[in-house]
Amino acid sequence: MDAPRLQLDYFDGRSARPQAAEIWLSDGHLHLSAGAEAQYAARDVRWPERQRHGQRQAQLPDGGLLSCADAAAWDSWAQGSGLRDTVTVRWMQSWRRVLLAMALLLAFLFACWRWGAPLAADLIVRALPSSAAHQIGSQSLDYLDQHWLKPSTVDTARREQIARRFERLVAASPADAPLRYQLHFRAGDKLLGPNAFALPGGEIVLTDALVELLHDSPDALQGVLAHELGHVQHQHGLRMALQAGLVGALAGLVVGDFSALLAGLPALLAQQAYSRDFEREADAQAHRMLRRAGLSPRVMLHFFERIAAIEARQTGVPALLSSHPATPERIAFFSQ
Amino acid sequence: MTTLTAGISPVRAPAFAHSVLPDLATTRFKRRLDIEFSGSGSEYFRIWIVNLLLTVVTLGLYLPFAKARRLSYFYANTLIDGQALAFHGNPWRMFRGFLLLALLMLAYGVAGRFSPVAGLIAFGLLCAVWPALWRAGLQFRLSNTSWRGLPFSFRGDLAGAYRCMLPTYLPAMLMVVCQFLWAPAPGAQPEDPAFYALITFGPLLLLFGLLPWGLALIKRYQQGGYVYADQQATLSTSIGSFYSLALKGLLVTLVPVALAGVGAAVLIPLIKSGALGQTAAIVLLAGLGLLAYLLLLVIMMSYFSARMQNLVWCKTGSSALQFDSQLSARSLGWLNLKNWVLTAITLGLYRPFAAINTTQLRLSAMKVTVDADMDEWVTQAGAAQQDAAGEAAGDFFGIDMGL
Repeated sequence: MDAPRLQLDYFDGRSARPQAAEIWLSDGHLHLSAGAEAQYAARDVRWPERQRHGQRQAQLPDGGLLSCADAAAWDSWAQGSGLRDTVTVRWMQSWRRVLLAMALLLAFLFACWRWGAPLAADLIVRALPSSAAHQIGSQSLDYLDQHWLKPSTVDTARREQIARRFERLVAASPADAPLRYQLHFRAGDKLLGPNAFALPGGEIVLTDALVELLHDSPDALQGVLAHELGHVQHQHGLRMALQAGLVGALAGLVVGDFSALLAGLPALLAQQAYSRDFEREADAQAHRMLRRAGLSPRVMLHFFERIAAIEARQTGVPALLSSHPATPERIAFFSQ
Repeated sequence: MTTLTAGISPVRAPAFAHSVLPDLATTRFKRRLDIEFSGSGSEYFRIWIVNLLLTVVTLGLYLPFAKARRLSYFYANTLIDGQALAFHGNPWRMFRGFLLLALLMLAYGVAGRFSPVAGLIAFGLLCAVWPALWRAGLQFRLSNTSWRGLPFSFRGDLAGAYRCMLPTYLPAMLMVVCQFLWAPAPGAQPEDPAFYALITFGPLLLLFGLLPWGLALIKRYQQGGYVYADQQATLSTSIGSFYSLALKGLLVTLVPVALAGVGAAVLIPLIKSGALGQTAAIVLLAGLGLLAYLLLLVIMMSYFSARMQNLVWCKTGSSALQFDSQLSARSLGWLNLKNWVLTAITLGLYRPFAAINTTQLRLSAMKVTVDADMDEWVTQAGAAQQDAAGEAAGDFFGIDMGL
């Protein structure tokens, strides 16, 4: 049986003059007849991918080009000659598989967000030497001191008292104690308010406003510090930076070339979800440590009540995308 | 499928004209070449979604392959005088360059995280190699694009690539040096506020003032480097017209800014008076702010990119080829607005359709006139021997040709 033949335009790669040519495939070779005859190993030819629109162009290894304006003629020739579509092209040609690809894409993105990024962050955090975390933390604290925080005005005796109490609390739960932690007292601005936060490497910062807020409830202050110690123990700061970075990079792959703003949005949403998970983990540690020290976790309720009172007074944007779990949920947790 | 045809093509001069009237023969070949774009949104959607899946699953490693496929599709659907463009880029070579670039960018990102000084050094290095990489990218893209079997090439020299960046680089360097020498310690107040303002805003103003000039040099270098057969393109746009485009663009941008100002002037007293609820006011303000921002972006981007395409391609030509572009900023603006709204509503699924529509509009505004017998055109000696090092580095970047 004769191999099917196809008439098309041939350019030799040296002249812009089209030459009428005929091609056919046999024994794994592409035969070209355009005045003179030539043949090329079929696997050296760069074949066009089958699409509905556009010209079919096959690139020859010597710089020549086969150009077929009649896409349908090319396709039936290619099929008759036994040229197979690649798997990718077969997927792109079928709407059913395109829908499947969409479903797979969504599933993959979800899995990356739910398990992939936390797992990767976990591996990196474990591999990172503690000195690196310490360096990042102390640099961040220097930066905050320069731009945002002021020295504490709480008197030294009070600070030492709080620190000693906390040492005893930590000593009661050796399993939950990180290798290193350090309390820092600072005065913040009004925006920061009564607050405490943990930086990588074990730096725990608490504001004067927080000390003031819980001046009559030292156990609640210990609970808040235990919560921050939970962040230190589980290295939430580093994890958050890594997970957010990974999710951001993934979002960038999907929508990055369209808009940086659009890429930032899913990353932000994902980050808030991670943040709520971290807060729950830190709450669990605070709960445990208070129990072990013989204190009731219910002391934390003082803290929530007062924070709620401040939030009610405050006039600000309602937090639609909260970084913390809902307060009723946290109150219920510490009431147990 | 939609096919756009730009202009009409007169019947080709009869072949015998060549032998009978050799002196007049060249003008007898003068005709306009049709430019058609036959890409389809629904088909590109299918290509895009499979590309995206493969890219995400391989954590980005598939990007160069996806790009090669995308370019091949757009090229195969760009028909000039009935012959499509062809993309010859080898995806594996693009992959190699992509890996190198990814490592470079990773190192750059990491350097910035660890210390500002390291970040600054990395940024400086990136700036230093950028013109060379940009030129290599142009070389790669052009030498891997062919029409009628002949590859294009890019003939801009390395020194030229650096020269045309000077009007943007020098003020930027001045800015960094000023800040480095005289910036007050973080948190501290500047000793002499007037002097500090001068060294901060002076270089910035200089940068903005020189930007149109820099852009003119960049476009001249870029357009002037395009070579096809024996045709070397030149861009004859004056530097003044880049300044006038920048000024007109500023005026056009002022309109939405003024509208936003009026809106704020009306709304803010209303909110202060408490006529609206607190939450309602915030939602209203945020919504209107976002709307104003998007509108501003659409107007600015559409105006500048449409006018820039016209400015550059109207004055691009060679001895036998003349380009023309009459892209209406208004129609590009409406298209962009429609594309953005539909992309937002469909959570991004409209993007491939948007890409096809935009390319179609941009190409339908283009015209090419040729005044030669193209069948006689041949590859220039040496055109095939590309700067190998440049080409390898050129895998880094896909430079778009302003189309």
